[in-house]
Amino acid sequence: MSNYFEKIYFDPYLFFSIFFLSALGLFFLFSASNGDVNMVFKQLIFVIGGLIFMIGISQPDPDIFRRMSLMILLFALFLLGITYFFGPEINGAQRWVRIGSISFQSSEMLKIALPIFLANFLFNKKLPIQRKEVLISIIIIFCCFFLVYRQPDLGTAVIVALSGIFVLFLSGLSWSFIGGSLIFLIISSPFIWNILLEPFQRQRIATYFNPDSDPFGASWNITQSKVAIGSGGIFGKGFGEGSQTQLNFLPETETDFIFSVIGEEFGFLGVLLLLTIYLFILLRCFYLALNARDRFCRLVIGGISLTFASNLIINLSMVVGLLPIVGMPLPFISMGGSSLISLFFSFGIIISMGTHKKFLPQ
Amino acid sequence: MIFEERQLEKNNFSSRAILLFGVVILSFLAILIKVFSLQISGYSDYQLAALKNKNYVVPIQPLRGEIFDRKGRYLVRNEPTFDLITNPNLIIDLDLFLEEIEPVIFLSDIEKTRYRKFYKDKAFINKELVLKKDLTQREIARFNVRSFNFKNVFIAKRYRRISDHPDIFSHVLGYTSITEGDFKSMPEIPRSHWKDVELNYAHGLITGQTGLEETYDYQLRGSHGKKVYEMNARGQFIKELEASQPKKGSDLFTYLDIDAQKSAAEYIGNRRGAVVAIDLQSSGINVLYSSPSYSINRLSNGMSESEFKDLINNSEKPFFNRALQGRYPPASTIKPAIGMYGLSRDIIDWNFEIKDPGYFTLPETGRIYRGWLKGGHGKVNLRKAMLVSSNTFFFSLAYKSDINELSEHLNSLGFGQKVCFDCFDEDQAFVPTPEWKYSKMNTGWVKGDTVNLGVGQGYLIATPMQLANYASILATKGKIEKASLAILDKQKKSSIFWEQKGFSSLDWNKMHNALLGVIESDYGTASSIRDLKNFQVAGKSGTAELVSLDSKEAYLEVRSAELLRDHSIIIAFGPMPNPKYAVSVVIENGESGGAVAGPVAIEVLKSLINE
Repeated sequence: MSNYFEKIYFDPYLFFSIFFLSALGLFFLFSASNGDVNMVFKQLIFVIGGLIFMIGISQPDPDIFRRMSLMILLFALFLLGITYFFGPEINGAQRWVRIGSISFQSSEMLKIALPIFLANFLFNKKLPIQRKEVLISIIIIFCCFFLVYRQPDLGTAVIVALSGIFVLFLSGLSWSFIGGSLIFLIISSPFIWNILLEPFQRQRIATYFNPDSDPFGASWNITQSKVAIGSGGIFGKGFGEGSQTQLNFLPETETDFIFSVIGEEFGFLGVLLLLTIYLFILLRCFYLALNARDRFCRLVIGGISLTFASNLIINLSMVVGLLPIVGMPLPFISMGGSSLISLFFSFGIIISMGTHKKFLPQ
Repeated sequence: MIFEERQLEKNNFSSRAILLFGVVILSFLAILIKVFSLQISGYSDYQLAALKNKNYVVPIQPLRGEIFDRKGRYLVRNEPTFDLITNPNLIIDLDLFLEEIEPVIFLSDIEKTRYRKFYKDKAFINKELVLKKDLTQREIARFNVRSFNFKNVFIAKRYRRISDHPDIFSHVLGYTSITEGDFKSMPEIPRSHWKDVELNYAHGLITGQTGLEETYDYQLRGSHGKKVYEMNARGQFIKELEASQPKKGSDLFTYLDIDAQKSAAEYIGNRRGAVVAIDLQSSGINVLYSSPSYSINRLSNGMSESEFKDLINNSEKPFFNRALQGRYPPASTIKPAIGMYGLSRDIIDWNFEIKDPGYFTLPETGRIYRGWLKGGHGKVNLRKAMLVSSNTFFFSLAYKSDINELSEHLNSLGFGQKVCFDCFDEDQAFVPTPEWKYSKMNTGWVKGDTVNLGVGQGYLIATPMQLANYASILATKGKIEKASLAILDKQKKSSIFWEQKGFSSLDWNKMHNALLGVIESDYGTASSIRDLKNFQVAGKSGTAELVSLDSKEAYLEVRSAELLRDHSIIIAFGPMPNPKYAVSVVIENGESGGAVAGPVAIEVLKSLINE
């Protein structure tokens, strides 16, 4: 039995911290949803399924992802296509694909597919990577970004773009090119503001810079979120006792603003615990990336874990008022099946790539 | 890939990964600092903001203080009525509910429409809603035996502001009216919350509008309590968190006397006029009545607009408080004051005599000023001049007066100023002076103006309140405090002791004696009321001319128009020789002072003295 167990590719640090985080998430979700048992149960199913899925994903040799990288990317794009043509429109956006009774946010897949594809594309290239390869990578990244952006889902589109850029950067993009692009980005920012951003997104950013302009209108969410977090103090108001949460002053408590619920009900200590777990997970990923068996695995672990970090940091910065509001869930905590599944999928890949060694001791 | 190259790639990767993870850790740090600033540095602000979000404070209406007469009888009280109140949020089917309740409590169409109108809003925010006001005993009983069928309905007490003598005390008590809210007293409650105030009065938030209700509003109104509700983001009340009870306003004890006020009203009847009576010992006002009157109960507890318009537009002007605002020439009642002026300035003494041929001729112009008796009263001194009300005597005395000194003298007796400490909207009327006439009429003061002043005609006007105050100065020989309706602390009262160097206590005695003679002697002008009572009364009557006529015959012609008839006036005090009460009566267009106003004054004194 123990022999058999040893054959399983398994990283206890990541597994148990994610397990703990998801369990905490269920607990927080119960309060955030005003005690909606059905919602928590549904999430529980996803968590249990996701953990098993994660272990399953981490079993095959990472080479399979390399070999299938194009397939995975095409599959992700296919999902986007389905969404584009058949997806239901919810709040003016087409982000979901429905298969039977299961809905899936199609862009989630792209956050994994794009770094794997780029890692495969770049892992055997000579350093420094050539202009041609950079150009191809950037075109691919931009295409993926644009497809998600058109849904429209700016938040996820940015994350998708970042997931590609991380891989590109880690694989040895020249510094002069990075400097040039930054200058280009700054120069083109008025263009981005005017053409790329929807009016409601511009409004959000304007609100971010002037939060008191309209406390009951556009800045309501961020104001209430800050009040919720701030009023939690050191120890918090206690489980189910947060007035901002329970009396519905706080919007989107189960999804984007669940961190505010935690801040309100569990205070600074709760926040500290949560951030510690996240940091632990990220540091473990960092360690696995540094010690991965080859360049491909390094790039994938680095790319996916940094994407995860960006996702996390954007959510946290947004709810505490450091960044404008963009729709972005808190990983492993926010309600949402597709987000969870894609998270477990990514960590399955990370564990797989972190635990498989090139020369198996057999 | 060769080994060196791979090592180079690995190092390159490591340094870049360290850079990116470094950025991640810095971001974490930034977020942590931000959370720290929210939860630890900004805690008190945000905690307050969170409380402000959820805590909804509403005021609770206090009961107003009640008002009592001098014998401790209710003038105004809070009468409980019973309202049928519902919790709309517990009513699932409105039509079914109304169908079920109708056989128990009759509902008018207006009540049903009103209920349907507010039902949804109240149900949404979980507030109560009144279904029917002012239930009868029968309805209460019918509901109580069936109350187990109606979990969402209950009966609650709501008060009305009621006077048991609504028609005779209306001007002096005043009425209450609906107000938006006492915002200033509770700055911690946002204005918008006042719409959710918990009421104790069926009529709503009320405040004193006129009379004592207004003057002593600060004392009567009490202080609001408050109730804190927990409210959610949609504005629904979730539960009650805490409540502090309201404090009932202090009761007001007055010098008013129900019996005396009743006799004033009874004896004036439906004539227009006013009565003011003052208790000389306390200087408290016992009677303050203006006729015609109106019902304060109707006004305080919801009067329809048309009813209110009728009241305002009534040609008898019931709203007008004649006792405090009626401007009447004091006529002959001013004569004692003129006499006091002459004595104190040594223009005359009690023995000084003139011959009264029935008129006075102004030396400068030769203009004739007539007395009321053709042929005159013969030889008259001051005492006789007051008894028979000789105009000629006072014309000639006024002729010798300095107008500025005389005005000042009249001011010192309370004319031309507010004399009541706590009356609502008292008119100060006025005493004419040469400056006044010049600025108002652009002509100079002439001697004839002063002569007219000598008999209380011309420009001089006074209110019944001022006349009563003047009567009390005469009665107390100048030792009276400022009149008030409410029983006050000693220090709040201001003294208005009247003193004049040239006017001795002997003069006072003779003055009392002369005024006593007006009523009690055979040839006093008001002797007709002598036998109406069993105690002695001093006083002075007057007949205020509304049109200036040279002869009695001419007057008989204008008499046919009632509103041009003379006003009948009397000031009186008694019982003599130690008077306890002073009274003034004015009856508009009542003609002869002694005979018309006199009996009213006597009846009021009787009911005050023979308590």
